[in-house]
Amino acid sequence: MEMFLMAVCMTIFGVAVSAMAFGAATSDVREQQAATLDSKVDEALASMPERFFARDTAPAIAAPPPAVTVPSVPIEVLLAQIERHVRLEHAAAESFLFDPTAESLHSRTTSPLVH
Amino acid sequence: MNTLQADLLKGLTEAQSAELLALGVRRQYPTGAELFPLGAAAHSVFMIERGRVALTLPIQVQGREQDVMVEERDGGQVVGWSGLIPPHRFTLKATAQLQTDAIVLEREVLLSHFEKHPEVGYLVTRNVASVTGQRLQIFQAMWLREMQRVIELRCP
Repeated sequence: MEMFLMAVCMTIFGVAVSAMAFGAATSDVREQQAATLDSKVDEALASMPERFFARDTAPAIAAPPPAVTVPSVPIEVLLAQIERHVRLEHAAAESFLFDPTAESLHSRTTSPLVH
Repeated sequence: MNTLQADLLKGLTEAQSAELLALGVRRQYPTGAELFPLGAAAHSVFMIERGRVALTLPIQVQGREQDVMVEERDGGQVVGWSGLIPPHRFTLKATAQLQTDAIVLEREVLLSHFEKHPEVGYLVTRNVASVTGQRLQIFQAMWLREMQRVIELRCP
């Protein structure tokens, strides 16, 4: 019985010593990591331009890139192009009626809307 | 306008043409005036004596509805043959591009004349068939050309 109790005490003591040793060993790493993270945040904040009343605000989420805007063609120009296209297509179709071949049906025009 | 060369009057004698034209009403359309709107009931045929008429259809351009010209007609040509062909509704809008003079022939008057002069009715009907047939063939070819481009875009 005495031997059994001695073994139990020794086991408890061993576990306690191991736990203390482990805690001491890992606390340094956590502190070091936390210190590194803090220094990184400080660097990020320091790199931000100083703003009135907003010195310590978190960096804003990067704005999405501006949408690519296609330069809009004036509607008058577009309508003139459509009208020209229709005239050219009409003429091409008429020439097909005079000479109905596959080549004349698919002949190319100078319309800017098809190039 | 040389009446014997006019689309609607081909094959008619000078006397027959004169008699037919006398049934119509001469109207003047200033530049930009509408002869008939898209979708309206078609009661008349318009024979252009002088000027030019644009036949247009609406299309969405940059989010706005715009009338786009699909055909032009000038002196001696006929517009509004829907007045003679069922279901008698205009399938295009007609606008005067220039100062335009036209002879407007009402369907009821024409049909009544054709009953009395079947040979005139036959020739005019044949002329209208020629105009409509040509329109069909041209637009068929135009449609096929566009289809070819769609195929080239989708399956290069």
